Amino acid sequence: MLYNKKNKWIYTVLVRTVFIVIILCIWEYIAKQNIFGNQSELIFPSLETIGEAFIRNFLKGYAGLSLWIYIGNSMKLLIQGLVIGIFLSFLLSGLSMISKNFYYIYTLVVSICDLLPGVALLPIIIIIFGIKPEVIVLLVVHAVLWPMSRSILDGFLAVPKIYVEAGMNIGLKGLTLLWGVYLPAAMSYILSGLKVGWARAWRGLISAEMIFGIATCPGIGLFINQMRTNMNNAEMYATLIVIIIIGLVVQYGILVPIENYTIKKWGMSK
Amino acid sequence: MKKVFILCIAVLFIFTGCGKEQEENKNIEDEVVILNIAYQYGLAYAPLIVAQNQGLIEKAYKNITGKDVTVVWNQMSSGADINTGIASGSLDVGFMGIAPAITGVTKGVGYKIFTNLSGQEHCLMTNNINITSFDDLIGSKYQIALVNVGSFQHIILAKALYNSGYDSHILDSNIVAMKHPDGMTALESGSIACHLTSSPYIYMERANENLYEIKAVTETWKKENSFIVGVASENLYNNNEKLYQALCDAIKDAIDYLNNNMEETAKLTCEFNGNNVEDELEYLQQGSYTIETKGIFEFASFMAETGFIDQALESYSDLVFENVIGN
Amino acid sequence: MTDRNNILEVRNLTKIYSDKIEKHIILSNLNLSVMRNEFLCILGSSGCGKTTLLRCIAGFERYNGSILVDGEEKTSSGTDRIMVFQDFNQLFPWMTVEKNIQYPLKLQGIHKKNELKNISKEVLNKVKLSNYEQYYPYQLSGGMKQRVAIAKALALKPKIILMDEPFAALDAITRSKLQEELLTISAEEKCTIIFITHNIQEAIILGTRIIVLEKGGKILIDEQNLIDRPVTPASEGYGAVWKRLHNALYQEVKF
Repeated sequence: MLYNKKNKWIYTVLVRTVFIVIILCIWEYIAKQNIFGNQSELIFPSLETIGEAFIRNFLKGYAGLSLWIYIGNSMKLLIQGLVIGIFLSFLLSGLSMISKNFYYIYTLVVSICDLLPGVALLPIIIIIFGIKPEVIVLLVVHAVLWPMSRSILDGFLAVPKIYVEAGMNIGLKGLTLLWGVYLPAAMSYILSGLKVGWARAWRGLISAEMIFGIATCPGIGLFINQMRTNMNNAEMYATLIVIIIIGLVVQYGILVPIENYTIKKWGMSK
Repeated sequence: MKKVFILCIAVLFIFTGCGKEQEENKNIEDEVVILNIAYQYGLAYAPLIVAQNQGLIEKAYKNITGKDVTVVWNQMSSGADINTGIASGSLDVGFMGIAPAITGVTKGVGYKIFTNLSGQEHCLMTNNINITSFDDLIGSKYQIALVNVGSFQHIILAKALYNSGYDSHILDSNIVAMKHPDGMTALESGSIACHLTSSPYIYMERANENLYEIKAVTETWKKENSFIVGVASENLYNNNEKLYQALCDAIKDAIDYLNNNMEETAKLTCEFNGNNVEDELEYLQQGSYTIETKGIFEFASFMAETGFIDQALESYSDLVFENVIGN
Repeated sequence: MTDRNNILEVRNLTKIYSDKIEKHIILSNLNLSVMRNEFLCILGSSGCGKTTLLRCIAGFERYNGSILVDGEEKTSSGTDRIMVFQDFNQLFPWMTVEKNIQYPLKLQGIHKKNELKNISKEVLNKVKLSNYEQYYPYQLSGGMKQRVAIAKALALKPKIILMDEPFAALDAITRSKLQEELLTISAEEKCTIIFITHNIQEAIILGTRIIVLEKGGKILIDEQNLIDRPVTPASEGYGAVWKRLHNALYQEVKF
């Protein structure tokens, strides 16, 4: 009865809120039951403890640095990696559309590299590039470049022939055709590639930081690892909440608006 | 709405399922005794491979009670994981470095140290011949790889700095957290300047003539000092005295066996550690295996003073069970 | 040799498709001249090569022979020959109706906002779609999309407008309405149109000249449509022309 278009988003918000509240209640119930014995509060802290830890993370932080600093460092590396990764994926996918030989090689490279977990490449990356924050940037690039390229290439190949011909007919060719027809026509693919790429980059960044933390540029992954090592589980869960919040902000603050301003507006969403 | 409701029921089901399983375990304890042990990888854990291979805990328990015990050995990758395991009640016994053990005790995980296991050398290696002391590192951009910020290796670096009269955290910004093998690769390839590590990596790095040792760290925490200790849950200590006794006996037996039959032990453990028998024997001989702790209270006090843990401990007995000898 | 009145000359056009098994001769040695301001309807059954002929003229295909527009040999597509496709989805969905019309003009070097606005307004008016400037293609019906496509072609003022069964997928009422409008536009605009169809009535109503193509691209009939305009099935001579065209078409399709 509530479900009509006008009320759709209110309904969505309602359902999601109810869901979250239920999950939180279950969490609190379990925490309060001390299911895990005497040390339950230590490993499965209650919401109040996590809330306090959340505030403490920002006020006190770790090693004299507020969590803000760690987040700032991570975001800096992430944005650098994303910008480079997205730029390269457009460049290389574009080149593949222009040169057949490049296309054959690049699709092979994408298939191979997409399968390699970035973290497993760390030893090689360290040997080649040394230990610098740039290594993390490189891992972010690795995380975003291949899925993004795959989506862009798939998108380019799926562009209806009629758009291409209509484009050629009005005088587009080469780069202008790529920019004027292929790119907007492949937008829904590009956006889904962006979503996958962003999620992988964000996760890849945190796991890379958990594996090797650089003290001069400590990131959010290092912070989590630290909290885990020190048995500060409440702080660790609080940091996970921060990660979720950042993820949601990107999703609803950036990706969804882009979608609304492009493929939704154009009636091209699937 | 219906879907949400079903989801909730499903979630509840999963959790009630967990609870039941635990209760069942308690009932079973009367009949079949199970001991869950977690240890980690490496030479420092060699006595445990002996104990596992020869069934020493099972034998000791049979001697004391005439009954059988089932020992489950779990290999885990960090002290932090083992701490969580013990806190949740899924592990009874764990072996780890003294740093996570002290953290666990002060955090109230619910365990104490029941034995020492081993001690080893730790040293700071560099690939730059011009780096000979802390003076060359302080204020520089040279990077020091060690296994984790706040790890045992980090603390002995701080301690070595303190002993040499520097601020114990002065090199913190030079630290890069990396696992031992990655650190060795990075050091040998020249991507970092220094690596603070333990056996067997120090032996491999010492054998490389392009790498040099910075002695200050080596001397701060010698092999006679405790490195790996065993912790047992208070639950085990309070509620199953005989099993606890059997555990202590078995570890002592394993260490005695190792010390008296190094060659045999090397043959047994070399495969686990991926060395050939000769190397393994040499590495074992370089280690120190004893049940007596050495220096852990001093270490804990240092951790508290320098902010690695929040609370200070009052005495040695806060850290260990009554039967443990040492300091 | 070129007749000044001929806007288009197709000489010895041969088009062969090869697949793995065999070669298909689609068009063989076709010769065709189109006069300025002619409304040429090309009739033919499916697979006779009429679409291929149009695509060759538009420059979307490779071929043997030569195609001259105003005496100039053409080998690739260009804005002097604008194609209106049968597919409704020929408009760019990421642009509004107005932008779809203005974009090709911008590519032609027209950048003044006022001028662009005036042109798009004018052509939309011609296809009776004023006030639809800000709509996106997905908000339009099939018939409206085809009108926009025609408006887009008109805006460019091409030498030839090529139409590949643009109304074939429309319902009968919309189709006859659009035919009527197209007739008006072609009379006002003085443009050359080559219009492909397999609908005899449509050819008679629209065309000033009608060609029937046989399989392989052989021209069976090539005649001026002399029936007085506007043509209805009741017009004098309609029946005879219809019959002639029908016979030619069905003589070719032998079952």
